[in-house]
Amino acid sequence: MPFKVHHNSVQHWAIRAVWAVATILFLLYIPTKGETGTVGDMTFALQLAIAAMALNLVMGFGGIVSIGHSAYFGLGGYTTAILVDHYGWSQGWTFYVAAVLGFVVGCATSLPALRLKGVYLALVTLGLAVLFPQLIKWKKATWLTDGARGIDDIGYDDVPTWPILGELRREEGRVVFMWWVTVIVVVLAYLVCRGIVKSRVGRSLIAIRDNETAAAVMGVNTARTKTIVFGVSAAMCAVAGSLFAVSGKIVNPDLRNFTLVGSIIFLLVMVLGGAATLWGPIVGAIAYVVVETRTREAAANGEGVIGWLFGWMSGSPAALILALAMLAIMFLAPFGIIGLLKRLAAKVVVLIPRPAGSGTNVPPVDDAEAPSIDEPFLPITTGETP
Amino acid sequence: MTRRTTRVAAVVGTTALAFSVFGIDQAGAGAEEGWTVDTEDCPDPDATNAPIEGTIRIGSAMPLSGPVAGAFEPAARGFQAYVAYANEAELIPGLTIEVDIQDDQYDPSLTPGVVQGLIDSGVHMFAGNIGTAQNLTVIDQINEECIPHLSLLTGDPAWGDVEEYPWTTGGLTPYNLESRGYAESIAEQFPDASVALYYVNNEFGNVYMDAFREAADEAGLSVDSEQTVENGDNAPPTAQMSALAEAAPDVIMATPLGIQCITFLAELANAKAANAGWEPTIYITNTCASPLILGAAGEAANGIYTSASMGIRDVADPAVMEEEPVAAYLAEMESQGLSDIVTTAAAGWNVAETTVAVLIAASESDAGLTQASIIEAARSLDFHPSLVRENLGNYVMNGEEDAFYSENIQIVTYDAAAGHFVDVGEAYVFETSAEG
Repeated sequence: MPFKVHHNSVQHWAIRAVWAVATILFLLYIPTKGETGTVGDMTFALQLAIAAMALNLVMGFGGIVSIGHSAYFGLGGYTTAILVDHYGWSQGWTFYVAAVLGFVVGCATSLPALRLKGVYLALVTLGLAVLFPQLIKWKKATWLTDGARGIDDIGYDDVPTWPILGELRREEGRVVFMWWVTVIVVVLAYLVCRGIVKSRVGRSLIAIRDNETAAAVMGVNTARTKTIVFGVSAAMCAVAGSLFAVSGKIVNPDLRNFTLVGSIIFLLVMVLGGAATLWGPIVGAIAYVVVETRTREAAANGEGVIGWLFGWMSGSPAALILALAMLAIMFLAPFGIIGLLKRLAAKVVVLIPRPAGSGTNVPPVDDAEAPSIDEPFLPITTGETP
Repeated sequence: MTRRTTRVAAVVGTTALAFSVFGIDQAGAGAEEGWTVDTEDCPDPDATNAPIEGTIRIGSAMPLSGPVAGAFEPAARGFQAYVAYANEAELIPGLTIEVDIQDDQYDPSLTPGVVQGLIDSGVHMFAGNIGTAQNLTVIDQINEECIPHLSLLTGDPAWGDVEEYPWTTGGLTPYNLESRGYAESIAEQFPDASVALYYVNNEFGNVYMDAFREAADEAGLSVDSEQTVENGDNAPPTAQMSALAEAAPDVIMATPLGIQCITFLAELANAKAANAGWEPTIYITNTCASPLILGAAGEAANGIYTSASMGIRDVADPAVMEEEPVAAYLAEMESQGLSDIVTTAAAGWNVAETTVAVLIAASESDAGLTQASIIEAARSLDFHPSLVRENLGNYVMNGEEDAFYSENIQIVTYDAAAGHFVDVGEAYVFETSAEG
């Protein structure tokens, strides 16, 4: 018999506090105890999480299919690279420009979403993903983008000194600094997503996803809602691309996160963590990066079980193992890792929401399996209240 | 006799014995003279100058999986094969060489993580890292950390900037010299030829073609048309070949990558069949110049011109196979179960052999084997690797004056029926240092 917890009760806040403390401990543990390579990997995971959160906003919550988010990611990366390399800007200021540019381009490219749906919209966004690297390589644009050669040396030489972090020197310092910058952006991105989803715009977005005609009849301005959300999503993704460029110190049209492969990775991360959940992209990104990195390492070493199972392959089995691992995860967790954790948690504790009409912003739920947008793992039940 | 003298004598004796197996005389290495590296700005100068004893750990980032792994992954196994041989033969007495090659899938965004992971794991040096953009993402970091970064398997002339990157050395023949060899060969053999370019539109292809355009200009060649293929696009380049057929150049200078070498040659054969009378001469980058790759293209590869990558002999040529150094290489590869990749693995073997020669020279230096003495030995090396052609001379580097080992070019043509290369004329000698 699972333990029942009422919404906003002391027990509920205690569970929230445990979750918050665990998150803070994780954020502190990585840069203080992790090796520099691990910090770099986790920084990349959080950048991936921002991109997946951006995609989640339009696709998970809005039902608007997009496989063109790699273009916004690349736009942010190139904005930073051009401003730093060609115009001598400090890296930090370029994040704001990337966000504004991303918002404008996102709003502009949302226009097809106003008229198209499903696979037709997917094809348009696919075109965007394919077009972006070609635009970068376009000969008439090489004065700005440096074409296929890309732009390098755009990372921090000396990172700014932050009192709380002490003196950060050399690569280790740069990596730790980028970790904290990325953490701040992740928190902001989470708050933006949470704010949107819980606001009138978010409810309109979910209504559009579930039944656009009904939403329009109810007075939802579908065009404005889609445009705003697409713009915000593109802006978030562009900032993630900027962070990625500064961490990697190079932009190049062949970087896979700037190509269609990047869009597929964002999609994979979103689904892996749990679509239409706020924590899903974060958990999914960390899981993806850990599995992908460890897979490549294990396959390169080719020892132990990996060597025994895949020794028959002439090359590295990394891609095969990653694919099998992803299939296994999705088989075990069809609603993503968050969905799996909810199912497991339901055996121990369930959250009982406030009764309807009590004035809270608790989203409507259909059953105990439905994903919650504000509780990472706790299942919500509509069961009887005491 | 002191302990140190005994150790040096043992090193020299064992090394001479090992090289005699390959029929190569060890050339002099003046690690204790000439160029020296400044370690004052290193994170830990004491550690950089500290003796390395017992085990030296070499790291590398290569594409072991992903779209170009088929062409490059054998280099990793060739590298490991030579190191296994060196350890077995105790080429450096008292020192075991450990190699940790990690997979960056030829994606520059993965390389920093791979390299940082290797640094965290405590590698003393890097060798044989593959890819131009890939190395660009980590060159600042590795130089800042004062870690030797040797014999990169990329020919960007940027690796010759000793002042900016004292800890980095290139491994391939620089693209500007390779291009110069092709341009001079075209000018000599086909003086009034119109030339078209076909290249992969990435960092590698563009760096390479910039070098070729400059060399063609100096050689008085006319480059009339260009076609590109996108990185990772391994589909038959039908549209590009149609466009080239329409331009009908006399010579095509091609720089595809990996599988694209095969699809380019196969599709070009189709275009020639559809355009009777058009028989362009093909010059192709030596990154495609492996009988394993060209063999897959079959008859379409017959008669192409290229050069010996890093000056390495054609180990698929029956006559060469019987020569002692190559025969020993083939026997060793067979004993390690790698006889199916002897051609594509030769580059990795060659880099590993050069790296071990550097380690031997460093261990013979006054400072003994340290990270600083390794880079100093690398920049003072005068050595002839066992697989390198005799007519191309030694690998010589000389501080800031000469920052590349392999600079001479031997143009060869591929005989598809026989499955090996045939020399075309004399070698182009671009070596700037005198051999020791």
